[in-house]
Amino acid sequence: MSKKWLSFIAVIVLLPAVTLFAMVTGSIDITYTELLMNFFNENHENIGIIKDLRFPRIIIAIFAGAALSVSGVLLQAVMRNPLAEPGIIGVSAGSSFFTLLILAFYPSLFFYTPLFAFIGGMIAFFIVYSLSWKSSLHPLRMILIGVAINALFTGLGQTIGITNASSMINSVQTDMSTLTMKTWSDVNIIVIYGSIGLLLAYLLFGWCNHLSLKDKTLHNLGFPVNRARLFIAIVAVLLASIATAVAGMFTFVGLLIPHIGRNLVGTNHKLLIPFSALAGGLLILIADTLGRTLLAPIEIPASIIMAVIGGPFLIFVLRKSGKLYGN
Amino acid sequence: MEIKDLTFSYDKQKRLLHKITAHIPKGKITTIIGPNGSGKSTLLQLLTNNLKTQAGQIIIEGHALQQLKQKQLAQMLSVVHQHNMAPEDMTVESLVYYGRLPYKKAFTSYKEEDEEIVDWAIEAVGLSNWKKKLLHTLSGGQQQRAWLAMAIAQKTPYMFLDEPTSALDIYYQYDILQLVNRLNKKEQLTTVMVLHDMNQALQFSDYIIAMKDGELVTFGPPEEVMTEAYIKEIYGIDVILHEDDRVGKFIVPLKQM
Repeated sequence: MSKKWLSFIAVIVLLPAVTLFAMVTGSIDITYTELLMNFFNENHENIGIIKDLRFPRIIIAIFAGAALSVSGVLLQAVMRNPLAEPGIIGVSAGSSFFTLLILAFYPSLFFYTPLFAFIGGMIAFFIVYSLSWKSSLHPLRMILIGVAINALFTGLGQTIGITNASSMINSVQTDMSTLTMKTWSDVNIIVIYGSIGLLLAYLLFGWCNHLSLKDKTLHNLGFPVNRARLFIAIVAVLLASIATAVAGMFTFVGLLIPHIGRNLVGTNHKLLIPFSALAGGLLILIADTLGRTLLAPIEIPASIIMAVIGGPFLIFVLRKSGKLYGN
Repeated sequence: MEIKDLTFSYDKQKRLLHKITAHIPKGKITTIIGPNGSGKSTLLQLLTNNLKTQAGQIIIEGHALQQLKQKQLAQMLSVVHQHNMAPEDMTVESLVYYGRLPYKKAFTSYKEEDEEIVDWAIEAVGLSNWKKKLLHTLSGGQQQRAWLAMAIAQKTPYMFLDEPTSALDIYYQYDILQLVNRLNKKEQLTTVMVLHDMNQALQFSDYIIAMKDGELVTFGPPEEVMTEAYIKEIYGIDVILHEDDRVGKFIVPLKQM
C-alpha cells in the first residue's frame, strides 16, 4: 500500500482514538466503558459535566486545527511560498486585534465577532500581499513583512488588553490560546463557519493545483490567475479568522501540517487539503490534551505546546524550503 | 498577425519599445533577434498579452488582441515561457493536460477528446515512453519537450517560444529547434520565437524581426536580414558570412585585433 493511503488511514484511526482518550482524561475519572455505555444518558452526573466541559474544547480543538492547517495550505498556494501561514504573516493577529477591538468598544456586537475577525484578517493579508507583491512574492521579503504586520497587530491587541479590564477581554487572550471555558455556543460558531470554509477549500483544490505553475503560463492557458488567488485567499482568511475568533492564536500549525502533508500525500491539493484538515485537527487536539494532562492540575495552553514544537520546526523548514516546489 | 506602431514603456524616461510595425506570416517560423535590452522579450510579452499594449495595435486573425477574452486568446496562441516551474511530483502527462485548460469549464473533468489530444501531443514530442514519469526526473531537454507538448496540446494556430534553447546543451538546442521545425511544417503551426544565436536564427527561420534599442532594425527573410552590414548594426560586431553546401549560410564573428 502506498505512503499516501497509509498516512490517511493513520490520521483517520488516530483522530477518533485521541478524541476518545481526551474524553476520558481529566480531573473527573471515568472509564471508557462508562463513557460509551452512558453516552446518551442525560441523567448520568459525570457524563453531563464532561459533555459541558470537555466536549466543547475537544470539538473546538479539532476544528481550529483543521481550519488553521487548511488555511496554511491555501495561503501557501496563493503566495507560492511554503512559509506562508496565517500566524506568521499576521492574519491571525489581525483577526485577534479586530475581535478585541469590538469586545472593548462595542461589546453589544459580540455575536458578530467572527465577521470582524474576518475583516481584520483580510486587512492584514492584503497589507502583506500587496507589499510583498512588488518583489514578486520573494519568500524572505514576504516573511519579513509578515513578521512586521504580525508584530503591529499583536501589539495593538495587547494594548487593548492592557487598557481594558473588562472580563470579556480577559477571557479572550491576546497572544495565546487556552481552550478552557469554551461553551456549546462557541462550538456552534466554529462548526458552522469552519465546515463552510473547509468545504469551500476542498472545492478549490483544482485552482490551488493550478497555482503551482507560473502566472505567465497560467495566463496563456486562459486561467484567471488573479481572481482565483483572491477567492482562495478569502477562504483561507475565513478559516484562519474563525479559528482565531473562537480558539485564539495558534502559530505554526498551518506551517507544520501542510509541510508534513506534502511529504506524505504529495502536492496534489485534492489529497493535501483533506489530509491537512484531519492531521491539523489531530495535532491541536493532542497539544490541548497534553497541555491539560502533563502537569495537571496546571494547564499549559495548547498554543504554547504548539509553539514549542513549531519553533524548531520553522528552522528546519527554512533550511529546506528551497526544495519544496522544485523547478 | 499584424503589429502596428507598437510602443511600450514602464516609465516615461525609459522607452522599451518604439513604434514597432511588422507582420507575422501564417504557417511560417518568425524569429525575433537582437542584443540584450533590445526589447525582443518585451515584444514577445506584448504579443502574448502578458504585458498590456500602451499605444499601437496587435491584430490576430482579424481581432484586436486586447479585445479578446483570456480564454479565447488561449485557444489562439500558446506560449512556452522561460524558467518554467512545476511541482516536483507532477508527471509529464498531467503537465500536458494543462494544455487543455482553455477548453475546460470550471469544476468539470476532461473529455475523451482531451485525452486523445494529450496522447497525440506527447507522441509528437517523442515522450510516449516517459508519459507517466515525474517531470523533474527528466533531463532539461526532455523537460523542454514536455512544455512544448503542453503548448501544442492547446491546439492553437500560433505558438510563441521565449528563448526555447537557453539553459540547454548544444545537443538539446538542436533537438528542440528541429522539433519546432517539424511541428511547424507538419501542423502548419505559425511559430514565433526569440533566439540568441545568430546561426540558429539563420538556419531555422522563415522570417526574422531584428531589434535594437527598442526599435525595429529590419524585418524580412534571413538572407535579407542576416547580412554583414545589418549584423554590425544590430550587435555591433564584425562578422563574415560564408556559404556551405550542407548548412547553407553561416556566420562567424571576427576577432578584434
